[in-house]
Amino acid sequence: MSKSTLCVSAVALSLMLGLAPADAAELKIGAEIPLSGNLARVGSAMNEGIQVAAEMFNKKNGKHTVKVLVVDDESSPAKAVGAVEKLAADGVIAYTGGYGSNIIGPASEAAEKLGKVYITSGGVASELTKRGLKTFFRINSSEGYARALMGMFSEVGIKSVAVVYSTKEATEEVAKMLQTGLGAKGVKVTMHAFDPATNDFKPIVHKIKLQDRPEAIAMIGYENDYVGILRAAKVLKPDIKTIAGVWSLATSKMAAEFPDLMENVSGTSTLSYPAVFTTPEAKEFAETYQKMFNKAPDYLGIFGYVQSKLLFDAVARAADAGTIDKGGVASELRKTKTESVIGKVSFDEAGDNPEFTHRMGQHQAGKVELVWPLEAATGKMKYPALPW
Amino acid sequence: MNNSVKIAVFLALSYVAVPLALGSNTYVIGLIVAALTIAGIAVAWALLGNLGGMVSFGHAAFFGVGAYVSALLTLRGGWPVFPAMLMAGVGAAIASVATMPALRLRGPYFALAILAYAEIFRILATELKPVTGGAAGLLSIPRLPNVLGLDFGSKLGGYFVILTIVVAAMAAYHLIRRSAYGLALKAMHDSEDATRVVGVNSIVLKAWMLMVSAFITGMVGAFNAHYINFLEPDYAFAGQWTMLAIVSAIFGGYRTVSGPLAGALVVYLVDQLAFKPILPQGHQIVLGVLLGAMILFNPGGMMSMLTAKFLRKEASHAA
Amino acid sequence: MIDLVAQSLFSGVLSGAYYALIALGLALVFGTMRVINLAHGELVLLGAYISYTAEEKLGLDPLASLPLALTLVVATAMAVYYLISLIKTDRELNSLILTFGIGVILTNAVLMIWSADIHSTTTPWYHDATILFDTLFAMQAELVFAALGIVLVGAVWWWLEKSWYGRALRAVASNRDAAKLMGVNPQLTEVLSFAVSGLLATVAGVAIYTAKVIQPSLGHHLTVKAFIITVLAGMGSVPGVLLGAVLLGVVESLTVTLASSALQELAGMVLFLVVLLLMPSGLFGRAKRRG
Repeated sequence: MSKSTLCVSAVALSLMLGLAPADAAELKIGAEIPLSGNLARVGSAMNEGIQVAAEMFNKKNGKHTVKVLVVDDESSPAKAVGAVEKLAADGVIAYTGGYGSNIIGPASEAAEKLGKVYITSGGVASELTKRGLKTFFRINSSEGYARALMGMFSEVGIKSVAVVYSTKEATEEVAKMLQTGLGAKGVKVTMHAFDPATNDFKPIVHKIKLQDRPEAIAMIGYENDYVGILRAAKVLKPDIKTIAGVWSLATSKMAAEFPDLMENVSGTSTLSYPAVFTTPEAKEFAETYQKMFNKAPDYLGIFGYVQSKLLFDAVARAADAGTIDKGGVASELRKTKTESVIGKVSFDEAGDNPEFTHRMGQHQAGKVELVWPLEAATGKMKYPALPW
Repeated sequence: MNNSVKIAVFLALSYVAVPLALGSNTYVIGLIVAALTIAGIAVAWALLGNLGGMVSFGHAAFFGVGAYVSALLTLRGGWPVFPAMLMAGVGAAIASVATMPALRLRGPYFALAILAYAEIFRILATELKPVTGGAAGLLSIPRLPNVLGLDFGSKLGGYFVILTIVVAAMAAYHLIRRSAYGLALKAMHDSEDATRVVGVNSIVLKAWMLMVSAFITGMVGAFNAHYINFLEPDYAFAGQWTMLAIVSAIFGGYRTVSGPLAGALVVYLVDQLAFKPILPQGHQIVLGVLLGAMILFNPGGMMSMLTAKFLRKEASHAA
Repeated sequence: MIDLVAQSLFSGVLSGAYYALIALGLALVFGTMRVINLAHGELVLLGAYISYTAEEKLGLDPLASLPLALTLVVATAMAVYYLISLIKTDRELNSLILTFGIGVILTNAVLMIWSADIHSTTTPWYHDATILFDTLFAMQAELVFAALGIVLVGAVWWWLEKSWYGRALRAVASNRDAAKLMGVNPQLTEVLSFAVSGLLATVAGVAIYTAKVIQPSLGHHLTVKAFIITVLAGMGSVPGVLLGAVLLGVVESLTVTLASSALQELAGMVLFLVVLLLMPSGLFGRAKRRG
């Protein structure tokens, strides 16, 4: 083959490849996600949900298929920005993924600069939706966690709460929301901040026991903090009626690893454990997840799935309308109003989901029962009830 | 090749050839910018280590202070970005004054005292919520500006800014080393008691080196804040900044001016492009190995090794 | 209020004894070799993870896993010593950077082997409450390891002061050449101090796995705590390690009780800097300049 024919065929090939997607073909979606570093575990779980969403979309949507390109952000803001840019160079239409508000912040700003939609469930800070970005969307928020905790507390008529929270960004924000939200309802709230490096919680719990004397303790932290606080509480036995927390608490993992600590402890949760799936979509999701990863989905996988599914649908609609290059994905997403596996989802101007409320699950005899809100409950809340 | 030719080639390569060759590939430019950010801290660390004779485990302190100063001046004070970045250097230098009591301490004690300062600054940034925004951090920090039609906020623009900071830092390192101060500092290493006798005040000299080093590190921190547009205490004062800088400086050779830069480029790019794909989790283990191997088998670092080889070759040619 | 402060002091003392366990190995090597082993916290963590694996896979009680953990951690400590012994010049500073690198290697190795999940013993007995005088509360694990900490500090002190090996060790520390002339093999005594330090790290690791929660990033944090205590103690003072550790524990817990837990790390760091800068020989050390 001469040089010129080579050139011609190369041009022809690229024309063919370049023309094809205009009709019906592969839509490239970028996933920027932590697969290493300190967020590796949560990032991997979210990524599984994303992969399930792609699998289900490709099976169902006859016209379009999506291809998810994954880049690890190493739990680092700078690398996340790099990942977003690398994916743009690879030709993705939009992004799903992200974990940690501090990483999502710069990554979504990079996406905004590129004019591409960024959807996530990994960052709950209210700052994120106050930046006036046009292409940023998320399906959950700090409010949803605080609302669930407050809902459960008022359901059982609690009058005073001691909030123990880590001085990290997300934890502090939820704690402040509890303080104002519960305070507005006339509940007495006392606040106890702790350094993330704290490992002896007895002095804090003792203060709560002797000075605050609340009816409930709310823990806003992470797994190691919960274990430390619960152990201290088991030793000091403050005279409370219930103890509850937020994320990573009402999980099958905690039930399996710390059975002697978790009984009657509540935390935010999307699913009971073992999970009960009722709607057809949820059933199909759980089956696909089981088939692909040989395990039951956890809440991170569910959020990853929902955010990606909504994005894929919006991208497909924009592709049909031929508006992908004209900001069509964002405007299609803004039209979303749907009942999903995590409840109602719609988006406001800032890209927040105002409908989002978490559910509360309680550890009961090695299982996690959903106990709030009543319409989603799989069991009855044990109250007053404590791990000791 | 004499030195001025080498410098001219280096400048031409970095200011012209690299942008021309790679400018369109934002991913690679992004990696190089990240490597240069590490290089900036590494040069500052090497300056303090070589000229001041002090190993620091807390350069993240100055990086974080600089980042916060510049971010707050632009966000709250309405300052333009470039003057704010200069002030960030000044702010970090002032912060270094707070650490100066530690200059009286011997090597290991100084190294870890600075680490304690970094930790204290991090907690203060978390607790001083009205000023710093606390743990939530600062979002939407102004990006680097458009000046005379040049968009420094772009990837390539960022590259030129950080490259200029690093080059200026290297020039400062070189000039100080060659100056009378440099000679005094060298004499001080050889015999601290002797210099005391001839009237060189070693504490004052060390204090100057600490301030210069902090100034550079603060500027780099400020650059990073405007480049990433985001800041929070855990990120600004992360031990990673110190760790990567030490590995780079030791690997490249901190007693040479070009060593920290070469070290940062090699260490960061090899880590990202070669080891990360093979070992998604825990690939930094390789950095630990590099650091240990270099200290044990070639304390002079990569650049001095290359130079030595080069010299040997020249010598054999001459013979 | 009195109840609060009393419990706070008690918690502080218990934390202190457990801190002493972590710091003792670092202080020993520092005192005898003038080497700060920045990988010490990672050795402690390694001991903790081996204890976890022994419980998870073999069903061993954390204390029963000590022999296995000891073997592996002391072997690792020996490897660290071997690498340090390769350093030719400026051992004080170069060993700092070398052990820092070893710490990075160990942390990432732990991450690769055991992943980032948190772990702690599942034997409930350790977390049951013991109540003294109706007002002072403690977890049983804390009491066990506080007692062990005090005993080990005593043992190491006795060993350094009274035994021939201990005296040889101190002789090498104060004057290597003179010790050589007296027929002491400096290399051998250094190996010995490193081995003992590995032993102490193992016990500390088992204590952490039992009383607290472990995760891969913990090692560096432990090293810093250990170094702070070594500085408070003053170089070469073994009883000082216990006193310095208790002081740190009490300052931290009183900060929580009287102010806020958000400030406890800050209080520890400020205490460290004040002692480091204003008291050249530490609180309990023999006079020795750091300048």
